[in-house]
Amino acid sequence: MQDPLAFIIAVAHIAAAISLLNGLLTTLGQGKIVATAIESMARQPEAAGSIRGTMFIGLAMGETSGIYGLLIAIIMLFANPLVSLYIQYAM
Amino acid sequence: MDFNVKNLFVFEIGGIEVWITQTIVNTWIIMLVLIAFAVYTRIRLRKFEEIPTGFQNVVELGVEAFDDMARETAGDELMSLGSWFFMVFLFVTLANLSGLVGLRPPTADFATPLALALATFFLIQIMGLKFRKGDYLRSFFEPNLIFFPLNVIGEIARPISLSFRLFGNILAGLILMTLIYALLPTVIRLVLPAALHAYFDLFTGVLQTYIFCVLSLTFIKGAAEP
Repeated sequence: MQDPLAFIIAVAHIAAAISLLNGLLTTLGQGKIVATAIESMARQPEAAGSIRGTMFIGLAMGETSGIYGLLIAIIMLFANPLVSLYIQYAM
Repeated sequence: MDFNVKNLFVFEIGGIEVWITQTIVNTWIIMLVLIAFAVYTRIRLRKFEEIPTGFQNVVELGVEAFDDMARETAGDELMSLGSWFFMVFLFVTLANLSGLVGLRPPTADFATPLALALATFFLIQIMGLKFRKGDYLRSFFEPNLIFFPLNVIGEIARPISLSFRLFGNILAGLILMTLIYALLPTVIRLVLPAALHAYFDLFTGVLQTYIFCVLSLTFIKGAAEP
């Protein structure tokens, strides 16, 4: 290992990429929510308004895990605690 | 290509450094716009009409929409919260849309969503204590005494997830837009981002604000009613 700092940064980028993979399952879940909502809208068109409102709330709830993954990726890339810890330790 | 919060100037009060950042200045601008609008509305509505026309009609439409939303989501007892959420909605919408005129959205700094979510957190506790009194405190020990720590963690997780949802959406839009502006050549830069702005700023911004208000109301209703 020639440069430990470069290694830390490379691992942080890989970790950011892995944490963004949770978008797969989040999107799958959101697709399921919308599909079910459309199904029930087609069955009961008079209740479409309230179903749409509930659907948006459900989408926001399901989005939470995706947002957490995104935040972890952002922290890894732009505010990485390990890099500053290493610099402090090496100095 | 940088999307960090810039520090504009620093001054000292009694040895404590006070940082005036971009977020604070942009919040002041939004507050100024809202206060100007409120004063203008007050002057225009000095001659109040029974049957509203024109400008009064539009203002009444907005106020009524939020009163209806509060009544539908939270019930008649909590209808007075509609005015608070009207204010939150106007502020957060303007904050999210301020990216369109070149300001850095204040909601893309974690302090702003956290403050709003903490307000919701205290509203939940106060409304729960006001409407259910001892029953509300007992609900922390609900199925069993052992569940007390879990219930407390669940209560603390609410403002965190509320604020992170708003913050993450707006920050993701800001980062994507900055990357796209940095990537594109100058000619395309004038045309293509308009469509992306419509999605990331207009659609996401207004939808997330609506979701923030409705989720807060649902939480408050859950605490205030058994």
